Amino acid sequence: MLQFLVDALLRTADLALITLGLSMLYGLIRFPNIAHVQYAMCGAFLAYAINSAGAPLIVSVVLASILTGLLTLVIQLLVFDRLLKSGPAIAMIGSLAVSMVLVASVLGIAGSFPHMFSLPHTEPLIIGDARISHTQLWFVLTTLVLLTLFVLLLFHTQVGRAMRALACNPALADASGLNASRITNGVTFISGMLAGLGGSMLSLSTGAHVNLGYDLLLPVFAAAILGGLGNPIGAVAGAALIALTETAVTNINFGPLLGETLVFLPVSYISAASFLILLLALLFKPYGLFDREVRRV
Amino acid sequence: MYDFLIFTITIAGIYAIMALGLNVLAGYGGLLNFGHIAFAGIGVYATGIAHARGWPVLVGIPLGMIAAMILGWAMARLGRRLAADYWGIATLAVAEILRTVALNEDELTGGANGITGIPGLFESVASPWDQVYFSAVVLGIVAVTAFFSARLGDGRFGRALRLMREQPALAACMGYNLQKIKSHAIMCGGAITALAGSLYAHYFNFAGTEFMLAAETFVLWTMVMIGGMGRTAGVLLGVILVQAVYAFVPFLRDLLGFGSDVAGALRLGLIGAILLICLLWRREGLLPEKLRNPA
Amino acid sequence: MKKRHFLTLCASTLLVGNLASSAWAQETISLGAVLPLTGPSATVGEDIRRGIQLGVEHVNANGGVLGKKLQVIVEDSGNNPTTALTAARKLATVDRVPAVLGEYSSSITLPMAQYLVKENIVHFNIGSSSNKVRELGASAFNIIGLEAAGNLFAAKDVYALGHRNLALIAPNNAYGQGVAHGFTEEFEKLGGKITAQILYTGGQSTYRRELQQLARAKPDAFLYTAYGHESAVINREAKELGLRNVPWYAYIMSMSVSDTPADIAEGQIGMELGTAQGDLGKAYEDTFKAKFKEGFKTAFNGYGYDGVLMLAAAIEQGKGATPAQIIAGLKAVSEAGFTGVTGPIKLDDEGQRIDPPYDRLKYEGGKLVQR
Repeated sequence: MLQFLVDALLRTADLALITLGLSMLYGLIRFPNIAHVQYAMCGAFLAYAINSAGAPLIVSVVLASILTGLLTLVIQLLVFDRLLKSGPAIAMIGSLAVSMVLVASVLGIAGSFPHMFSLPHTEPLIIGDARISHTQLWFVLTTLVLLTLFVLLLFHTQVGRAMRALACNPALADASGLNASRITNGVTFISGMLAGLGGSMLSLSTGAHVNLGYDLLLPVFAAAILGGLGNPIGAVAGAALIALTETAVTNINFGPLLGETLVFLPVSYISAASFLILLLALLFKPYGLFDREVRRV
Repeated sequence: MYDFLIFTITIAGIYAIMALGLNVLAGYGGLLNFGHIAFAGIGVYATGIAHARGWPVLVGIPLGMIAAMILGWAMARLGRRLAADYWGIATLAVAEILRTVALNEDELTGGANGITGIPGLFESVASPWDQVYFSAVVLGIVAVTAFFSARLGDGRFGRALRLMREQPALAACMGYNLQKIKSHAIMCGGAITALAGSLYAHYFNFAGTEFMLAAETFVLWTMVMIGGMGRTAGVLLGVILVQAVYAFVPFLRDLLGFGSDVAGALRLGLIGAILLICLLWRREGLLPEKLRNPA
Repeated sequence: MKKRHFLTLCASTLLVGNLASSAWAQETISLGAVLPLTGPSATVGEDIRRGIQLGVEHVNANGGVLGKKLQVIVEDSGNNPTTALTAARKLATVDRVPAVLGEYSSSITLPMAQYLVKENIVHFNIGSSSNKVRELGASAFNIIGLEAAGNLFAAKDVYALGHRNLALIAPNNAYGQGVAHGFTEEFEKLGGKITAQILYTGGQSTYRRELQQLARAKPDAFLYTAYGHESAVINREAKELGLRNVPWYAYIMSMSVSDTPADIAEGQIGMELGTAQGDLGKAYEDTFKAKFKEGFKTAFNGYGYDGVLMLAAAIEQGKGATPAQIIAGLKAVSEAGFTGVTGPIKLDDEGQRIDPPYDRLKYEGGKLVQR
């Protein structure tokens, strides 16, 4: 039972930061940026590269996130701002092209081998009947801390209020004197940073590999949409829900129902389960489960 | 040598049919279907399953097209209440679900191994003429589809699609049933692509899931966007350009001697870069849509 | 304008390539190979490529084939059947090779070999163990142990080690399904039981859930077989989940630990296809180490080497390099008795190796040693 919770928590941590970044930015720029998960992948490779060059782990991760944030900002300014003038559909296709270029660049430079970080090998912690490795524990704790900081930023500071105002009603916010483009750039940078952070911490466990972004695409979008785009707490809740479903679906033993000792759903069906939830959610509650999304649908 | 040329041409032809299918709903209709490859997958597996079950294998073609139309109808219903980009993600999810099912249902689809030994269309004809005939059939179908697509675009349905794409409110006011038009467009495009999928299965004698990755939909989108959305000639140009890059890179690799990873990266990167450049500088595509000028 | 330039460029490259290859053809005899140079089995693919390279160098150092140089054109399968089929097509129609070695994964080898046999080109299997390889056809040959033999050997070995209730994990493809099915059959014949079995889907970055499902069965040992990168993940997560307190038996060990860090692979036991045997094998191993500055990464490179040497011998015997001559030549070479670095090779009527060798291994002190 405890292992189940630990696994769900780990999976939530995998998704939460990247989903949060996506959700916040979607609220402002109003198009689904497929390249967002590739930013996470870039963050992972940057962290690996900096770490291999000799920097300590924490420095590598932080530096990688900042660089990813800058990358996101640059791409936003150079590419997406221009494409958005032609509408969100064109911007979405453009994000597709950007994804391809990012993946191709990383593939060409780093190859298709997963790059594992050389971490000291320690025995996992045992809590009750659950096991969690040190790296994973740090990951979850860091994610929690960052999420709390972000929520505080959003709801208890001037900057946060400005961000929320801009997401709700850009024209009015602009009219009330908020510098829309500066705030958007700031949010873009933060969203990229979060993606880079999420990606690099994820890669500590799985290694930096080219498919890291693509594997996250549908779960992250599912989580963001479930939580309601532009709703940061919803994003995390969405991530938790997706994580819970995935973990639950593969842990339930259908054996007793079918008269055998152990029968499980094949693991590859869990992604199908999340997408099914997404589809159902879109059909019945398209504004997200909490109905608190920035109305745009 | 010429065999390989015929091979490249046939593959380009099959992709052309798929791209023309996507053009009906994406080009004319502006519908962001990011799961379009699912239709091709249905065509591939319809033929594969027909073969595995011992049915006459050509039955796979109409079967695939009908199944694609059903899926298309379902996808259209999904989009009833959703905005364009949400729907795009939903279609991506649908394609992924289908791929997962195909990967796991060994009984039906052969699971990860796929279905092998699917006969080609001209088994009894000696090599290399069977390849040539196949190529001729594919090119013939491309010509028919292109003609049909161009006529469609110029006809009443095409105009309705374009109106729906540009001014949906006006279209509704004028009495068009938007949902029905959308539905028909997706079903039509899906059926065409399914036909191409069946041809693919016959050509490679193999039905597998690698083909149904979302990355393949992106290739189709690139073909449609580079060439020019909504214009048949533009789509064909896009197909030729993308296929040229695909075929060119391995030869470049042999000449310059770089590794396979770099070759894969180069292909993907070139396509992505071309798409990006097109979007930034010539959004309508290299051959923009011909809209009738008001007299 | 753009379109015309592109096409002209393509056409000229093709033309140049054609001219270049036909000039070559006067002086060299070319064979083909399709290997997984990228993807989860890249380590194995590269290892086999090295074996093939050494084979080619050996043949050319000893006078070549029929007085001409030998070359093997290696193509990447990208670990998927369609790319492998396209590669095979290119080798057959552009390079016009009479024989193709490879691939490695059974799900890829089978469709590719079916194409080659249809085109009357010799297919030489050096990596796949599916029993279906036996049924490929008249121009298909194989020098590696197939599942039936491997499963029997492994089942007996595991049983002899005292394990009775196993959990099994293998890839969800032709190879893995064959192992799971065949091993279970043999093991249950001996009186053991497979309490849980999972066929994992390749390409995932985590296998925690699969491993946890298996652990629920509380086996007294795990039998596993997995491709390089995937198995590295499985091994690492098994250790993290505490599943290594019971023995882990690796089927085709060198493949299963090829990318696993030494400290995690430590203590595993397993079986393997016979690697370098006898004096010839020893000499080969020394040459390998000298050339590539590291030892064998997997057990498969020797089969690549033997494949090249056997094909070269067949061309000499058959006095020609057409597929028909190679087929006749291979039969003659086998009759006369051929000894490769993987031991004596004799082919039966279906072109399959009789009595392929297997080893019992364990992972100790950072490498695989005999048990």
